[in-house]
Amino acid sequence: MSVLAGLRQLTWMAALAALCLPAPAGAVATAGSAHEYDLKAAFLFNFAQFVEWPEDAFPSPSTPITIGIVGDDPFGTSLDEIVANETVHDRKLVVRRYKTVDEVDACHILFIGHAESKRLDRIPPRLGNHSILTVGETPDFTAHDGMIGFQMAKNRLRLRINAPAARAARLVISSKLLRQAEIVGSEKTR
Amino acid sequence: MTNGLKRILLAEDSPKDVELTLAALEEHNLANEVVVVHDGAEAMDYLLRKGKFEGLPAANPGVVLLDLKMPKVDGLEVLRRMRADKNLQSIPVVMLTSSREERDIVESYHLGVNAYVVKPVAFQEFIHAVKNLGLFWAVVNEPPPGSVKKAA
Amino acid sequence: MKAPRGSLQHKLVALMVLTCTAVLVMAGAGLIAYDHVSFKETMARALGTRAAIVAANTTGSLAFENPDDARQVLAALGKDPSMTAAALYDAQGRLFATYPANLPASAAPRAAERRSIHFDKESLVAFEPVVEGGRRLGTLYLRSDLQALVVRERVYALAVLFAIVGSVGVAFALSTTLQRGITRPVLALAETARHVTEKNDFSVRAAAATSRDEIGLLTEAFNDMLGEIQERDLEIRALNRDLEVRVEARTAELEATNRELESFSYSVSHDLRAPVRHIAGFAELLEKRSSAGLDDAGRRYLDNITDSAKRMGELIDDLLMFSRMGRAELCATHVPVETLVADILREMEQDLKGREIEWKIGALPEVQADPAMLRLVLTNLVSNALKYSRPRSPAKIEIGAEPGDGETILWVRDNGVGFDMQYAPKLFGVFQRLHAADEFEGTGIGLANVRRIVYRHGGKTWAEGEVDRGATFYFSLPERKEAA
Repeated sequence: MSVLAGLRQLTWMAALAALCLPAPAGAVATAGSAHEYDLKAAFLFNFAQFVEWPEDAFPSPSTPITIGIVGDDPFGTSLDEIVANETVHDRKLVVRRYKTVDEVDACHILFIGHAESKRLDRIPPRLGNHSILTVGETPDFTAHDGMIGFQMAKNRLRLRINAPAARAARLVISSKLLRQAEIVGSEKTR
Repeated sequence: MTNGLKRILLAEDSPKDVELTLAALEEHNLANEVVVVHDGAEAMDYLLRKGKFEGLPAANPGVVLLDLKMPKVDGLEVLRRMRADKNLQSIPVVMLTSSREERDIVESYHLGVNAYVVKPVAFQEFIHAVKNLGLFWAVVNEPPPGSVKKAA
Repeated sequence: MKAPRGSLQHKLVALMVLTCTAVLVMAGAGLIAYDHVSFKETMARALGTRAAIVAANTTGSLAFENPDDARQVLAALGKDPSMTAAALYDAQGRLFATYPANLPASAAPRAAERRSIHFDKESLVAFEPVVEGGRRLGTLYLRSDLQALVVRERVYALAVLFAIVGSVGVAFALSTTLQRGITRPVLALAETARHVTEKNDFSVRAAAATSRDEIGLLTEAFNDMLGEIQERDLEIRALNRDLEVRVEARTAELEATNRELESFSYSVSHDLRAPVRHIAGFAELLEKRSSAGLDDAGRRYLDNITDSAKRMGELIDDLLMFSRMGRAELCATHVPVETLVADILREMEQDLKGREIEWKIGALPEVQADPAMLRLVLTNLVSNALKYSRPRSPAKIEIGAEPGDGETILWVRDNGVGFDMQYAPKLFGVFQRLHAADEFEGTGIGLANVRRIVYRHGGKTWAEGEVDRGATFYFSLPERKEAA
């Protein structure tokens, strides 16, 4: 690693740390109330309805839609509850939890929580060449190639979508969803 | 002029009627001067002193009693001829006949008959009628001049 | 020719126009009704489709809890002025977004469970479930007014009305022209009929039928009928002529017969009388001459001969007069009966001498009759009255008159010996008598004469009587002469 790169990493982590400072301590880095995460869980579920994956994302008709959580799981049981017994496009949904990004394998929607986001300098667009809809909750999530960013404002959960990133991952986001969100592109590559 | 009996000319074709009439006239003594002829021709002959009456003195009868229905020349014809003849036209003529037919009466008067008497069936009446006729015409009436008188 | 009111032509035109109008109105009403129903269906379908579209567009808003977006979508409805309200409800039925944005909560109804579209009093309302991927996300409520329907109905009705009016106008024009085809032959027929009756001309015929329809048949039948009538007419005329000829012949016959009768009675009056007279005359002469030499029987025989001859003479005279009465001409004039009766009574003075008679003569009018004949009638009746009341003292004789129905009735009443009503029919018969000759003289021709004369005047005779209580003899004379 060059000195410059190392310096950048340091800055990044520092920034991240700075941002994380005011956050309350706790193993689970909950940035809001339980309601917030119910909403986010619902949204995650809904994303499955409004996004189209390429064909090779599902090897067989019975392949379920996988919603992965990287890092700490802020949802508690809400995501599991929402997803249980539901089908979207005739596919069941399963929730997987990963400790790190590297662990992620076949996954359709990946939620990257606060902590993990900070650790990453960028969200790899293609995680192992799979088309994965990355969802984050940090403000610059979409700036760093994240596809959908949650933005909590006045009890309203707003969305920010990085359309090119999704397009690069061969994901088709329904206009119905796009409409609900602020559309952004990636920041110029560093 | 005295009232003598005038001559009566009776023209009647039925002998029975003649007898009856004469008998009736006889009743009243009027039968003396009665000349009887049996039809119209004879009547004309007598009046005109012709035929078998030639040679008789010219004298008109006081009255002529005429029957209507007579052979040869009937009563109306005699009347007509009499009225046409200057010498005879003034002789009184009485139709003495059975007919009451209006046309006979009319025609007779039209031709200038003086009287028209219908012979009644009842003899008494007949006598009565004849008497009246005879008395009047043969006795009472002043005949036209030229009539012969009895025993003048 | 100008058609009179209510004529066939008007009726035909009215018929066709009315039928057309009725049919068109019914069709129009049907069309309008169908269109109403159909248009409502269309409206409902359109709203349903719109609801579905809008609902699909709001899934995202509902799924991602973005009321702003939903409001935007709903606001797009505002482009259509007929949309009066819209509301989006979430899955729990809570109001999510509305159009117009300030729609009061009271205006939005409770979210419905199922899809529905129905017509309200003044609006069309739709409920559409908002579903994504089989999941119910909420409910959409749309409301539109019925302005479109109202306008459409109005326009449609007007169009139909104009169409009807126009069509009726065309029907009127067409029928006015076409009815001629029917009425012309009928009118021609009527004209011909009128001509026939007015001019009594049976030789005309109606113009030959040009069509094989009922009018044509009528015309044919009419012509046939005229032909028949013409034939009949000619027949009748021929028969009439025939009849006239026959009547003339008969009349000539009758006249000949009459003349025969006349000459017959003329002969009778002469030839029949003479022998009768002779019998009477010579019988009397014989009596005069030889009554001294005859015994009673002989004298009686002679009397009988005379009497019989006299009687025969009377009969002949009466018969002659009777026949003359029948043949004589009847000249009717106004006869004042009162004067006539007075005259007759004066003439009869001789016969009345020595008799006690009470006369009761009523008001006697003027009548239409032959004076001589009427004189005969009255003379006869009065002398009968006198004759048959001879046994009475005083004899009461009444002469009266009364008006009848179009006639005058006169009568002569006496209180004489009367007659038995059962013999009444015989009274007026020729030579009929109800009494013996020695009781009352007479030949029995008097009343026959009376009847003959009265009948010739067109009147009637009748009598009423009772044995020993007198008799009344009536006769009537019609007001206007109807002489035979």
